[in-house]
Amino acid sequence: MSAATRRPLPSARDRGDGRARAAGAGERVAFSANPLLAVKVPAWRSKFVLFSLFVAFVALAVRAFYLQGGLNTDFLQQQGEARYARTLDVPATRGKVTDRNGVVLAASVPARAIWAIPEDVTATPAQLAPLAKLLDLPPAELKRRLADGDRSFVFLRRQLDLETAEAVARLKLAGIHSSREFRRHYPEGAAAAHVVGFTSLDDRGQEGVELAHDERLAGRAGSRRVIKDRLGRVVEGDWLRVPADGRDLALALDNRIQHITTSALRQAVERHEARAGAAIVLDARSGEVLALANWPSFDPSVRSGERRARWAPETLRNRALTDTFEPGSTLKPFSVAAALEAGLVQPESRIPTAPGRIVVGGRTISDTRPHDLLTVEQVVAKSSNVGTVRIALDLPAERLWNVLTAAGFGQAPAARTLGFQGAVAGRLRPYRSWRPIEQATIAYGYGVSVSLLQLARAYTAFARDGDVVPISLTRLETAPAGVPVIRPETARAMRRMLEQAVGDEGTAPQARIAGWRVAGKTGTARKLRDGQYVNAYVASFAGLAPASDPRIVVAVMIDEPGGSRFHGGEVAAPVFAQIAAGSLRTLQVPPDGPPAPAPRVVALAAEAL
Amino acid sequence: MRALIALLALALFASALSLVSAQHTARSLFVDHERAQRQARQLDAEGDRLRIELGRAAQPAAIESAARGLGLKPVDGARVVFLPPAAGAGRTQ
Repeated sequence: MSAATRRPLPSARDRGDGRARAAGAGERVAFSANPLLAVKVPAWRSKFVLFSLFVAFVALAVRAFYLQGGLNTDFLQQQGEARYARTLDVPATRGKVTDRNGVVLAASVPARAIWAIPEDVTATPAQLAPLAKLLDLPPAELKRRLADGDRSFVFLRRQLDLETAEAVARLKLAGIHSSREFRRHYPEGAAAAHVVGFTSLDDRGQEGVELAHDERLAGRAGSRRVIKDRLGRVVEGDWLRVPADGRDLALALDNRIQHITTSALRQAVERHEARAGAAIVLDARSGEVLALANWPSFDPSVRSGERRARWAPETLRNRALTDTFEPGSTLKPFSVAAALEAGLVQPESRIPTAPGRIVVGGRTISDTRPHDLLTVEQVVAKSSNVGTVRIALDLPAERLWNVLTAAGFGQAPAARTLGFQGAVAGRLRPYRSWRPIEQATIAYGYGVSVSLLQLARAYTAFARDGDVVPISLTRLETAPAGVPVIRPETARAMRRMLEQAVGDEGTAPQARIAGWRVAGKTGTARKLRDGQYVNAYVASFAGLAPASDPRIVVAVMIDEPGGSRFHGGEVAAPVFAQIAAGSLRTLQVPPDGPPAPAPRVVALAAEAL
Repeated sequence: MRALIALLALALFASALSLVSAQHTARSLFVDHERAQRQARQLDAEGDRLRIELGRAAQPAAIESAARGLGLKPVDGARVVFLPPAAGAGRTQ
């Protein structure tokens, strides 16, 4: 080394350039003669280098084995997966709600929610104008929502149909995104709103059947693990959880009868300036609810939260199930039936009702019009309070209570068979605590409260030879067994009496319809407000048709008719007639009565056929 | 011996290539399957939408107002003609 440094390097200094110096090196000394090679290096040095290289390679091999040979392979696999594997949520489609004939009452279709990250939105007002138009928002409103700097996420529009959502996507605006959701449609609108109910924007049941059967309808969302290629296509997939679509639900409703019921009820509520009304049509043979209407109603198709908030709570209530009222005279047939059961009276027995008043426990009960001697049939037909009280006071309280309880008063209908929650029990006090005046008032429908559904169900006892069936809002394959309330003979006798009530002598000739014989009973009950009976009424009618072989039971209730007419026979009976006629025609029930008012029977001569 | 190894090496190579091609085929078939399923879902949704449209068009209220527009009136007792079944003839209902 010292020799090399001591050597003069004239050429390098003279020419000052590397190439010349390299070329000149050959001149100076051959490589093999390089004195550096002659230096004696200790042997351990090269061995040390060799060993170090060996150790480095071993370290690499160990590391490679550690990562890939099975000791710790998860790490690299995770890293790999993170680059091509994804977990996708697969939503379940909510089941349809249909009527008994398969007509869709509620169904979901895919929709999109358009949302924005305000910070990322760079579009100019001119670019936002077509967006505002597509979203059906005023440009100022859109600007206001996007200007909300505090929020990193804002919904611009929900439940948008797919075509419009695609048009939004084609605008290619930064910061505007869309996500999948479902939109629920209710083709029948307000007509079936109370039974079907509605869902929230997130597709969860909020009211009605949508809530009661939410679990069955909603199904269960699934998820899957997939591998995507560079084009974003799914090339492999495994189900982590298979989605289960919601199952469809067939209701007992018939949408034609539902429409007839709703429009008849609506007309009556509007004509009589009533606060509200409700009507139910039951299939007398199976206990299925063919129609259930409340008015005022609401439109479940409204999908915007702000507009939904304006729904009046009054209109959302399913009065037929959740509101109770004192039924008044519509309850009388049960008192009379209890007396017939006990053998105290016969339909032809004469009851003195003169002078149209009776004093019980210091209180006077009177008839609207005084009668004289009435048969039991006439007591029902003319709706005599005095006659009913005379019949009922001879009856042990327990017998009356038993009949009323067996008919379902005072008990909530079983939610399981009804398929609906929130049906109320009404009020019927235990007979042990009845005083004579209470027994008398209960006999003609005061001091007891019922829901319209209970009233309709109880009348199935008269329509069905003495037994009642559980009520069902969903379609049944087989008719359930009935629970006996009264004997078949009593039920038939009551049917005859109820048919007289709609006769010329009765309280409700307006309930008659052309072609079919009907039977029923009116009710006009004063309303109780703060413990006082006031000058406001509930007009009701409960009846069945055709009287010869009942197929339907119809109950109608009109709350506080505002005009000069408020009697059940004038207000509720015509609604019954309209509903019963339409329902029997829809169900194609053979006529059993004279086609009043103008008989136009075409006598077909046998030889002409 | 050497020939056998060469043969096996060749077979291994061929098998590796066919594995790649089989994997590719499987994935493209899977992609097609996915597309078909997506289409099936879309058609389902479309079917539901059409059923809703049908329900809306067949709504009794809509039919009633259309019928009134045509000057038709609801059936009432005076307009109904009942044909009583004559003896020996079939039921008319």
